[in-house]
Amino acid sequence: MSRKTISSQALARSYGTERTLTFLVGLIAVLGAAAVFAVSYGILGEFRARRSLVDPMAVDWLGGHALASRIGAIVLGVVLLVLGLWWLRRSLRTEGRPDLELDRSDEHPLTVTSSAIANAVQADAETVRGVSRARARAVGDSDNPALRLTLWLREGTDVRQVWDDLDTHVLARARESLGIKTLPTAVRLELETGNRQRVS
Amino acid sequence: MRVFVRLLSTLLSLAVAAGGALLALEVGWYWWRPASSPLLVPWTRWRETLAGVGWDSFAVRLTAGIVAAAGLILLLMSLSARRRDVRLHDPATEVSVTTSPRSLARLVGHRVRAQDNVTGATVTASAKKIRVRATSRLEDENQLRPRLLEAVSALLDVVPLLKRPKISVVVDSPKDRR
Repeated sequence: MSRKTISSQALARSYGTERTLTFLVGLIAVLGAAAVFAVSYGILGEFRARRSLVDPMAVDWLGGHALASRIGAIVLGVVLLVLGLWWLRRSLRTEGRPDLELDRSDEHPLTVTSSAIANAVQADAETVRGVSRARARAVGDSDNPALRLTLWLREGTDVRQVWDDLDTHVLARARESLGIKTLPTAVRLELETGNRQRVS
Repeated sequence: MRVFVRLLSTLLSLAVAAGGALLALEVGWYWWRPASSPLLVPWTRWRETLAGVGWDSFAVRLTAGIVAAAGLILLLMSLSARRRDVRLHDPATEVSVTTSPRSLARLVGHRVRAQDNVTGATVTASAKKIRVRATSRLEDENQLRPRLLEAVSALLDVVPLLKRPKISVVVDSPKDRR
């Protein structure tokens, strides 16, 4: 699907991994609690429900496989630690603001800083008819830089017109001035309410 | 919701990392020096306490109930934290456009209120469905509803949405109450 392109990835910060992991933790909690209920209400055997939480049978089994269960527990612990640290790093990372490397040659390296692109495109976008406010920022990593552009439109603006103008005016000029053929861009259109204008 | 999930995700990741570290540490320490364990977590005392608790005790059921409720909350929150933006067609390659459901609703509301004999309208929109509830003093539902449907439909023809949402229009008019 087209969701995989750089520009569609730039539409919003991705939380897919965090969401999936949170979902899995919730699922494990629900299933575990269901299993405990099943044991507790004697579904898995009338006598098992009456035995202690530290079930003698389970303890015997673990004692019989002492080496395997110790190694298993340590491996599980290390895996959980690594997973937890990777997950923590992922959910605490900030979204990158990559600079645009136009020329990577050693003699004349040319880099446009992310704030420079953002300011230029923002100023340009605000000149489009119907756009009251614009915000631009560079997103992604330095290998796949992209632009995220948020446009606030005045009430009553022809969205179709703005949509048509986006590529031909704003982005074309940005590409021209940067001298590149493609600039992956994610555009978010927001329509303002006209309430404020009625006052004046 | 997305902020909550991010926060929860950070806390859960910390809990998973800490739990894993403690598990590996305690088991390793017990293996190496059984005499001087436990190291950090008083798990021998826990084991003695738990040995006196049966599976069918109230405490176990209560704990399981609390865990199930917390798990359900996590499930619901992570499911409801999805992105709700409405995709538009790409105007060019490597250019993607979205708009918020609220903006789409405003766009539709603006069009609906511009129709004749519409006193007011509330619109809710998502990528799949647009619901319009219009009030009118002069026209009843049978007269106004087809006209509004047509107007919204004409608007959606112009706005380049990736998927055309379904439209539902309800007209609230005092003429229908007679």
